[in-house]
Amino acid sequence: MISFENVTAIFPRGAGVKDINLRVNSGDFVFIIGPSGAGKSTILRLIYMDIFPDKGKVKVYRYDSSKIKEKEIPLLRRKIGMIFQDFRLLNDRNVYQNVALSLYVSHVKTREIKTRVYEVLNSVGLGHRVHYKPDELSGGEQQRVAIARALVKSPIVLLADEPTGNLDPKVSAELMILLKKINKEGTAIVMATHNYKLIDYIPDARIIQMDKGRIISIS
Amino acid sequence: MTVFFFLIKEGFKGLIRSQYAGLFTIFIISISLILIGLGFVISRDMVFAVQKLKSQFELEVFLKYAATDREIEQFYAMLDSMPEILHASYISPDSAAKRFKKEFGEDIYSILDYNPLPPSFTIELKPIYRNVVSVEGIIANIRKNPIVDEVKYRRNLLLTLEKYQRIIFVIATLIFLFFTFVSIVLVSNSIKMTIFARRELISTLKLIGATNTFVKVPFFIEGALEGIIGAIISCGFFYALTYVVNNFFYHFVYYKIQLDLKFYVGLISLGFLFGLIGSLRTVGKFLGKIG
Repeated sequence: MISFENVTAIFPRGAGVKDINLRVNSGDFVFIIGPSGAGKSTILRLIYMDIFPDKGKVKVYRYDSSKIKEKEIPLLRRKIGMIFQDFRLLNDRNVYQNVALSLYVSHVKTREIKTRVYEVLNSVGLGHRVHYKPDELSGGEQQRVAIARALVKSPIVLLADEPTGNLDPKVSAELMILLKKINKEGTAIVMATHNYKLIDYIPDARIIQMDKGRIISIS
Repeated sequence: MTVFFFLIKEGFKGLIRSQYAGLFTIFIISISLILIGLGFVISRDMVFAVQKLKSQFELEVFLKYAATDREIEQFYAMLDSMPEILHASYISPDSAAKRFKKEFGEDIYSILDYNPLPPSFTIELKPIYRNVVSVEGIIANIRKNPIVDEVKYRRNLLLTLEKYQRIIFVIATLIFLFFTFVSIVLVSNSIKMTIFARRELISTLKLIGATNTFVKVPFFIEGALEGIIGAIISCGFFYALTYVVNNFFYHFVYYKIQLDLKFYVGLISLGFLFGLIGSLRTVGKFLGKIG
């Protein structure tokens, strides 16, 4: 489903990733761990093709980084769910509208949008918060809205970039339990984090350890 | 259709969501259109004033006293056939005497016992011939006729107008261009601010798989709406300005502002274009940056 073949991507300032080879299959839960600047977020950005390799190629679903056209990138991103440390929710609209936006972008019909948004918000335990604005919610609830927005389009993979970075340990634990449930239901998850403790929540996850832009171990 | 209506709705909602940034853009667009409108009115009326002065320009051809009616008729026919002449009117000695009485309040006969005023013609030239070179040529032609005694015209006025016409035209054009340039810079910067304030929305949309068109359309609608609202405000300003100047200041300045429907339609179209092009350029640039 996702593969990196000898991928090197260097930023003008020097950081980036070098000689990366990895595969993510359907249903996988993959941790990418390492200190800040190890290249974890770069791996995720290469997956959603925000940046492109200088060498090698990244394949995601049926899209190949060496062949993809600019107009195909939105189509790829509709297949990928993303959550971030800073949630990236829009404070000028409520929870329902934030989640529904993902489906409007994918040209889903209004009636179907309504059903799917309520379904996904209930599944993340936010069915009672649909009319709230993000800044009226706690950090944990905001991250769950972000998860709902990512899941509502039934992605092939959920990319999580330090999703617990802004959350306290208790809320982080709840979030990990939620992600485990999502993964058990069949969605692959790739999570970049420097918090090694999170690995304990997903015992059967694959762990890719990175440092200075290189993979130093895969288990 | 879902997406179409969603984008239209987003455009309208964007105007409300943008709050102060949107209001600021509307304000800037209305100020800009007022500047452009004033630039247009000032430059147009400066050119009009020169044209009006020139339109009052006429030649006076005094004939010899001895000219017979037949000679005068033939001369009239000759003037009529000259392509440079727009209109020629004959003033008989009697009419001249009446005009004298009207203008000076005294009967010429009571002063001199006879009428010394000769028969004459006043000649209005076609606009393109209202310049010293053409006028001198026409006069030379007219003078060839033996019944012509003297031809008078306000040579100095014509020379002055000719001298300043080009300068006035250049100044008027510069005023208009300056206001237009200032307006474009102001509008472009305020739209940039509006869009920059919502860079988060744009980058989120791109992350969740929105196409560039999906991102752009609501901004275009919002920009166009801001442009139209700004233009309506500027129309209100000009309507009020025209009313005040024409009703309360006309007796002091002897100047009336004349603005027709075309002017107002022009302002609204310009506002619409400003908003649309401003958002089109800025969103395009912003999308280019975030990829």
